[in-house]
Amino acid sequence: MTAITLDSISRDYGSGLYGVRDVSLTIDEGEFMVLLGPSGCGKSTTLRMIAGLEEITAGRIRIGARDVTELPPRDRNVAVVFQSYALYPHMSVRENMRFGMKMRGTPVAEQDRRIAEAASILGLEPYLDRKPGALSGGQRQRVALGRAMVREPDVFLMDEPLSNLDAKLRGEMRQELVKLHRRLGKTMVFVTHDHVEAMTMGDRICIMRDGHIEQVGPPLEVYANPANTFVAQFLASPAMNLIPASLAGDATRLTLKAGPISGDLPPAQAALYTKAAQEPAILGLRAEDVLSEPTASTLPVAGKVIVREALGAENLIGIETAEGIALSARTGRDFLPAFGDQVTLHADMARMHLFRASDGKAWSRQG
Amino acid sequence: MTRPVLSHLGLILACLVVLLPILWVLRTSLVPEHASYAKEIFPSITLDNYQALFADKNFGRNYLNSLIVAVLSVVLTMPLAAMTGYAFARFRTGGRLARFATLASQMLPPVALALPVFMLYRVTGLTNSLTGIVLVYSAINLPFLTWILMGFFESIPEDLEGAAMTDGATRWGAFWRVVLPVAAPGIMAAAVLGFILSWNEFLFALILGGSKTATVPVALAALQTSNGVQISQVSAGVSLAILPLLIAVRFIQKYLVQGLSFGSVK
Repeated sequence: MTAITLDSISRDYGSGLYGVRDVSLTIDEGEFMVLLGPSGCGKSTTLRMIAGLEEITAGRIRIGARDVTELPPRDRNVAVVFQSYALYPHMSVRENMRFGMKMRGTPVAEQDRRIAEAASILGLEPYLDRKPGALSGGQRQRVALGRAMVREPDVFLMDEPLSNLDAKLRGEMRQELVKLHRRLGKTMVFVTHDHVEAMTMGDRICIMRDGHIEQVGPPLEVYANPANTFVAQFLASPAMNLIPASLAGDATRLTLKAGPISGDLPPAQAALYTKAAQEPAILGLRAEDVLSEPTASTLPVAGKVIVREALGAENLIGIETAEGIALSARTGRDFLPAFGDQVTLHADMARMHLFRASDGKAWSRQG
Repeated sequence: MTRPVLSHLGLILACLVVLLPILWVLRTSLVPEHASYAKEIFPSITLDNYQALFADKNFGRNYLNSLIVAVLSVVLTMPLAAMTGYAFARFRTGGRLARFATLASQMLPPVALALPVFMLYRVTGLTNSLTGIVLVYSAINLPFLTWILMGFFESIPEDLEGAAMTDGATRWGAFWRVVLPVAAPGIMAAAVLGFILSWNEFLFALILGGSKTATVPVALAALQTSNGVQISQVSAGVSLAILPLLIAVRFIQKYLVQGLSFGSVK
């Protein structure tokens, strides 16, 4: 039983400065949990608190049935893969892997067996006697993983382990890590600021900002129902289009006015957002929900093309409306206007998001 | 074409400025006293000056004294400097004040400490003993070496200790098994610097020591007598005194240049 429970944990640096503030989260046994957020949001601090490398100034942490809050890192039976890999430079790959087992008194024969097994899984056999300095970035990354694996820890903690790799290798390692998680079945906590990693790897993602949790849930669910404008913007590239909006009418006919976009909402959305008619709101539209062709549920929006990125499989088009509002659209590869062209795009209101202007919270989650 | 020639000429000139005095000392140590200021480079070559130094002036004893105090003070200082430097680097022990005090101690002219130390030593009976000189050298070198090692420990990524501690090591274990080996080049360099400082020290050796404990700098100064300076013997002594420093500098080069931490991160 190696679920991780964070119970109102805080890291107070003094003078009102918090790394993490009152964070509560349960990570299930065998789950791949991704902590996602921008720099300084407290995700790495949270991970280091679980590892015991950062002081916990309030709250409790449990790993399985054990309260580990006061335990030193060595007694928590967790393995950390650092962003910098933190390989011991004076030891060979084999010695790097052996170190943790030696510290824990694993019999030498067992050490050898585990090193051989991990090296075979990670393709490290030819490099076992090399020092880290003689390895490429990808190989070092594998050694760091191997060093964690051979320990057979209860929990794997990974602090942006892919961020130093080039794009191609990162993609490969992403898949390798997911495979490894399936094979080992261990609880893994993975810290990243890359939403693609979060979306593709996590069983659940936990989005953090300014030391607290903004939203937790399965990736697709969070993507489909962001709790607030921060999550909505952070979990996609290009970020979700946000436009100040107001609504008028009732459940039978709800009219939206958001800058250049105005018109009646489809019945389902009208029913959902009736309450929002009372106060200022923010309309959210993902780039893929701004279409090049109209449908029954779209409202038109015209503007001048200011961004034009042909990505091969799709195009990213950015327009600026007469009101000075910028809007990005992910379109099919056949729709590729020139810079400066006047075009009319179509916002799919059936897929719209609506947030409260005062605090940025999603109206769909207002209960 | 002209630029390399010019820059080489400049470099040769700079080398000569540094090397000529040393070469002159070496040359003078190998010629008889009466020929030391002669115009010829080598009017005659002799090892008499070296022989006289060892036979008449008991220079062997001085050399041994210097080696003992330099080596022992380094052996005594290094573990303390390493641990203090690590504490400063990682835990901010003592805060800014401790760091400032460490640096400030280096700004004090040594002569300001000489008298108080002498009074202390007279009371405790440490004057005229190698132990006394070793202790005072250790005390003088400790802040300096702490400062150097602190900088070195600060350059070692903290994640290395984090990795060692999650791997099962205690804080001490991480320091001993991971940080120290990684910091080895810095520690070697600091040790060599400490050795050089102690080897060259004159003031405390003169004030706190006696004839039995005279180190090489004190013995060389003693060759300046009322009958004049025995320049050839001084040169022979200086040539011998430079020897360990040359070896030490070779070490510094080797250890300072290579950064062992390469490859541990990124």
